[in-house]
Amino acid sequence: MRPITIAPALRRMAAAALPALVALLAGTTFAPAAAPPIVIGGTVSQTGAFAEDADFQVKGMQLAIAEANAHGGWLGRKLEFKVYDDKSNAGTAVRLYTRLITEDHVDLLVGPYSSGITQAVAPLINKYKMATVEPGASMPGIYVKGNEWNFQGTASSLTYLDELLPIAKKGGAKTVAVLALKSAFTLACSQARIDQAKQLGMKVVYQSSYSLPSPDFAAIGLAIKSAHPDVVIGCTYFPDAVGIAKALHDQGFAPKYFGETVGTVEPAFGTALGSLANGIVGNTSWWPNFKTANSPAIVARYKAMFHTEPDYHAITGYASIQVLGAAVQGAKSLDQAKLRNWLLHHTVPTVLGTYKSDPNGLSTGFGQYLVQWQGGALKLITPAKFAQAKLLVPYPGK
Amino acid sequence: MLLALQLLCDGVLLGGTYVLIAQSLNLIFGVMGVVNLAHGSFIVLAGLFTVWFAAHAAINPLLAIPIAFVVLFGVGALLQPVLLEPLMGLGAQQAELLSLMLTFGLDYVLIELGLQVFGSSYVSLPYLQSTWSVAGLTISKSLLVGSAFAAALALLLSFWLNHTGFGKTLLAASQSEVGAVSIGINVRLVRLVAFAIGVGLAGAAGVLLILVEPMAAETADDFTILGFVLIALGGLGDYRGVAIASVLLGIAQSAVGFAIGGDAESVLPFVLLILFMALWPQRFRRAA
Repeated sequence: MRPITIAPALRRMAAAALPALVALLAGTTFAPAAAPPIVIGGTVSQTGAFAEDADFQVKGMQLAIAEANAHGGWLGRKLEFKVYDDKSNAGTAVRLYTRLITEDHVDLLVGPYSSGITQAVAPLINKYKMATVEPGASMPGIYVKGNEWNFQGTASSLTYLDELLPIAKKGGAKTVAVLALKSAFTLACSQARIDQAKQLGMKVVYQSSYSLPSPDFAAIGLAIKSAHPDVVIGCTYFPDAVGIAKALHDQGFAPKYFGETVGTVEPAFGTALGSLANGIVGNTSWWPNFKTANSPAIVARYKAMFHTEPDYHAITGYASIQVLGAAVQGAKSLDQAKLRNWLLHHTVPTVLGTYKSDPNGLSTGFGQYLVQWQGGALKLITPAKFAQAKLLVPYPGK
Repeated sequence: MLLALQLLCDGVLLGGTYVLIAQSLNLIFGVMGVVNLAHGSFIVLAGLFTVWFAAHAAINPLLAIPIAFVVLFGVGALLQPVLLEPLMGLGAQQAELLSLMLTFGLDYVLIELGLQVFGSSYVSLPYLQSTWSVAGLTISKSLLVGSAFAAALALLLSFWLNHTGFGKTLLAASQSEVGAVSIGINVRLVRLVAFAIGVGLAGAAGVLLILVEPMAAETADDFTILGFVLIALGGLGDYRGVAIASVLLGIAQSAVGFAIGGDAESVLPFVLLILFMALWPQRFRRAA
């Protein structure tokens, strides 16, 4: 009788079961766990006054994060974006950033939209020493000694329309009127243009600030007409940019050069003013034909993802994630002190241009360029190598 | 001299745009005792609708005036019996306080509605963008048309109140509810119609205002505050006084804006409000 041996049978059973067992164990206990995602936190104004511009900014960030994840994330870890609605309210934003830092324990932060809201959260960011790139705050007053954990991710408002006065002076302009909405950003912008005019030897014949709501710009328009400047510069947002243009027209006055800052690049500006918009100069930090890093490809992917054209807010949002990613991968760490040090001492080529910071976090790399309404459309005037048209002079005003 | 005349002309036209804001609120607050903090929301919703209407219908935006009036009259006629009428039985003082709280909430709802439907951006309407030159004065056509229509509608309201049976009934009911009931006036119906007309005229004001200035959903409260300032200056329920106050404020703002600047122009209505409330607090008291 052949002896019964169980060893071969066991071996066969074991051989059959082993792959399944390995597979089971691999899926459960013994395999190394996947690294948790790097969580990037921030707020965006999904509702309230800033919702439309902020929506572009957050979409730009979402695209950049999705693309980074498609390439394996940062430091071998996927990225997760934790974003709350600050309702365009600075107080809400402060509460939400506190929550992101102290309860959600996010790894990284990005700034909110608008100078005002960023100004409100900047001390908190400083208190918790989170090196934060801020795409929505052009106001230079945020990036000062004592706020050194905040890094500007957009062009400074000091550069808004800074190319217009030298061009006007070359064209023979001698006198300037400067108007400003009473907000931190616009007042800083107007002071920069007044100082620039004086440096250029141009005479500032009228300067004024106003608050919104200002239902009537007629009186200001009449005062400007009386001063009869060659150049009018408005440091504006959209409603006052429209109001001042209408008021100058209603008073029958057209300066030779007429520039207004924020508001002019919005399509609604052309809709609101019709032919009156033609000849008005505005500024932008990005234009679709810029040959910055991967600009056409990013525009194409943005359109594919969101079914709409990006504006400069979207590009600024995208660039802020590019800068943050470069810092994380350059410093090879999520340590905030290392990230801050990296952000202070490195430049990053982004779709918005070159990121570069001064010792307080103020952007010195991103620029502002001139655009002008011509024939019912915005045309890029500077930089010369990408210009779509020459500056139309004088401003027709009709 | 010409400069002074230009300032006067600009001021009168600016005041003209104020008249309808103030008189429509005066009907609701001054006559009916409803502290309507949602008044500016009705104005702004109509203004935003006008931009949409002009873009999609491609016809004269002034045609939005009857549409806005009728639609918002209907909205007012629906809201008054549901939200405000139940407060009216609580006594005049209680009703005023509670209507303030209720319309405060309604204001938020309407602003959010405007944000959802029309977005958060400022919008404006290029209409009659040219000027007339008359004896050296420059007159904006859009401002003149907006101001003239607003003043005409405010005059029509005044005429209706003082020279028609229902208007006189309304004034009578506002002065003495008990007396009105005792002679058989349907006070509930009177209140409903007054509120609906006030809201309808706020709609008409919105259509005219968007012709002369940009608006966004969140600017609603600016118009509400302006309306209350003008009522305080002109006198609660005093139509002639409020019309004069509107024009005088327009002239004063033009002069101050020219001489001092935009900041002083913006703050002027509030300085005047504080002065008037301190010196003549009775101007905010309803006629008993």
